Amino acid sequence: MLFNSLDFFIFLPVVFVVYWFISYKSLQVQNLFVLAASYIFYGLWDWRFLFLILASTVVDFFVGRAIYASNSDKRRKTWLWTSVLFNVGLLGFFKYYNFFVNSWVDLISIFGYELKSTWTLQIILPVGISFYTFQTMSYSLDIYYKRLTPTRDFISFATFVSFFPQLVAGPIERASNLLSQITAKRSFNYIQCTEGLKLILWGLFKKVVIADAIAPIVDDIFANYSDYPASTLILGVSLFSFQVYGDFSGYSDIAIGTAKLFGIELMSNFKFPTFSRNVAEYWQRWHVSLSTWFRHYVYIPLGGSRVSKLKSVRNIIIIFLVSGFWHGANWTFIVWGAIHAVLYIPVFLMGRNRMYMGNVVAENRWFPSLTEILQILLTFSLVTFSRVFFRSESITDAFGFLEQIYTNFTFESYHHPLGYRMIDYFVLLGLFVLYEFRIRRDERAPFKFKSGIVRFVAYTLVILGMLLFFDDTIDRSFIYFQF
Amino acid sequence: MKKLILKSALYFFLILILLEALVRVFHLGKDTPTRFLDEHEVEKWMPNQNGFSVTGNRRQNFSEYHINNFGYNSYREFNPTRNKIEVALVGDSFIEGFHQDYYNSIGKKIENSMPGIEVYEYGYAGYDFADQLHLIHSYKEQFDLIDHVILGIKFSNDLTRGEYKVVSGRLDLESPMNRLLKKSKLLVYSKSIGILDPPQRLMYRLINTLKPKQSIKPIDKQEAQRIKKEEEREYLANFKSLIASYGFDKDRFTLLLDAKVTSSFFLSYLKENDVNYIDFSTFFEATDRPTTLIYDRHWNNHGRALIAQLISEYLSSIHLTPSSK
Repeated sequence: MLFNSLDFFIFLPVVFVVYWFISYKSLQVQNLFVLAASYIFYGLWDWRFLFLILASTVVDFFVGRAIYASNSDKRRKTWLWTSVLFNVGLLGFFKYYNFFVNSWVDLISIFGYELKSTWTLQIILPVGISFYTFQTMSYSLDIYYKRLTPTRDFISFATFVSFFPQLVAGPIERASNLLSQITAKRSFNYIQCTEGLKLILWGLFKKVVIADAIAPIVDDIFANYSDYPASTLILGVSLFSFQVYGDFSGYSDIAIGTAKLFGIELMSNFKFPTFSRNVAEYWQRWHVSLSTWFRHYVYIPLGGSRVSKLKSVRNIIIIFLVSGFWHGANWTFIVWGAIHAVLYIPVFLMGRNRMYMGNVVAENRWFPSLTEILQILLTFSLVTFSRVFFRSESITDAFGFLEQIYTNFTFESYHHPLGYRMIDYFVLLGLFVLYEFRIRRDERAPFKFKSGIVRFVAYTLVILGMLLFFDDTIDRSFIYFQF
Repeated sequence: MKKLILKSALYFFLILILLEALVRVFHLGKDTPTRFLDEHEVEKWMPNQNGFSVTGNRRQNFSEYHINNFGYNSYREFNPTRNKIEVALVGDSFIEGFHQDYYNSIGKKIENSMPGIEVYEYGYAGYDFADQLHLIHSYKEQFDLIDHVILGIKFSNDLTRGEYKVVSGRLDLESPMNRLLKKSKLLVYSKSIGILDPPQRLMYRLINTLKPKQSIKPIDKQEAQRIKKEEEREYLANFKSLIASYGFDKDRFTLLLDAKVTSSFFLSYLKENDVNYIDFSTFFEATDRPTTLIYDRHWNNHGRALIAQLISEYLSSIHLTPSSK
């Protein structure tokens, strides 16, 4: 069930009403109801994969208790590895099996061995597997690191794993945040609900108007890159930057907003990464829940930045490569991760990786300085360059795309085959960037206006924008569902 | 909770009102003229209406229409006489031309290239061959004064019936309920951009789940070919039946068609029986510019210019010029 589908807009009010009117008296009933709703939400896509979620839930529920109950470090470690191997095994099979087989075949062909029959399988990637496996693993890891006490309530734990607003594409929550809220009684909060509705509206706008409207243009440019000059290809990859941001941050806003309707606060996943002043700041603002996960469970256990500079650089390379690989079973994502490592390391070595933590561009000013504008443009350009690999179907395509930019370095105005009026999209993106700049201080309050009338006009204009750019003919699924 | 529900309902209602106002101010929704059935049971537009036709979410195509005294979209009133040369274009929405300004229609383009000729456009969305011949037959006196009649047909759509009957489905659009709904420009706009399709699809899905399921037999290639041949024979029979009922003046009547999407079986029949036709397919294929609009398949200005040029050339070739009178 997609957040931007009619099914969801019937499902959500029904679940909301039952949740607050019928099941609110007992926490157990409330959680059981959310769990059932989450399983229906997921099962409507493919009920068979519910067994995977259930398996992951059962394994980590008992592993968590076993780690906690174990006295010896060796036994604790064994239980932890059980969880890690199980979850990574699920991911490995469903997401990476064919990739490894194909890569192996390619590798041995380099040495002159030709394998005619391969063992690839027709595997469907279960939606959200990369997200919920990481979430359940974080539970076992937190217990292992003694940051968390395991729960005895299986229903609450299963609800934590499969909570439908964030089940299929995050934010990847840690048990210390989400499970603790699930095990506590929730009561209706008017302010929280209205904040949730506003976030849902803003998320829908980003998905329908920004991401979906641009998608056919980006698809055309990437599919026919060899026919276009450099100016068009640069336009295509720049638009893709906005598309993927609108798509994923839109999803996250809807997820956070929906969770608020049920009295749950999820962590922020996007904090206006477009206005990042260097790549380190970008990673503090882009897909925050994943970056946090890797920092907590990979980077810090490897020593983080408390080891020698060389080892820290090694750790940075590792987390960026793993993060790239997490996105998909394709060399394009690994190269994308590697590029980010290359971009991040100089910032780290200059000691500038934490300088923008906790502040936004033009903090107490109306407008950014010229230096800040240049920094933002540079960061956007570097990140956008890396997206050539993120978006291309294969490494060959990615290099072909870059080669075409280099060899056909000319400017021509772009005309979409279906004759889309490009000025509409440029005006749209211009207004979007300006509006996001205005609200840049708080990613959870997109309609923060003192005047109620202005707020009301803003809601109406956002809905009008959705009407103006609505296109029923395109694929409206979210990009991050494939990860 | 009560506050949330009441406030949400209030906001919803107020937003709808403001959206309705915005859609009207920016003229995002199309105007739809009123249709009616005249005393000859010819379906046409209520005379003397003006409005704007809009295509696309963001007014990608915006054009003015004007329904003349006779009930068709034209900048001209239809007053044929023996002294002038008049040409009638009869057809469906392609001839009707709500997707162009009425003063820039195919007829106007023909008139520009052939001064002295008057072109009357009897276009109406959904008109098939039966509608066209019924119109000509019903207004025989008027059409007898017109020097040449060009009938636009699409083989696969316009020959599905062998006798004329009023199409009640189209007239249902003038039901009191539909007329009431049309008053909301927001609703008209939402429908035109497809935002109401998902609820409609959901409704059909629900209705279909209640209905007993019918097994659908897969059709193989041979069977599909047989069905196609049968259809072609049926369409030709309909053509014959209609011209037998209403008459077809081969000297004055010419068909306008796309031979690429017309059965060769039918084209052979036309040739064998000396029925004249203008084929625009090769003309369209020869151009490297798009001939249709972006958001629907109607001819764009370039497409209309090509059609006008083709008709003008045809009229010249049959010596239908002002000097010929």
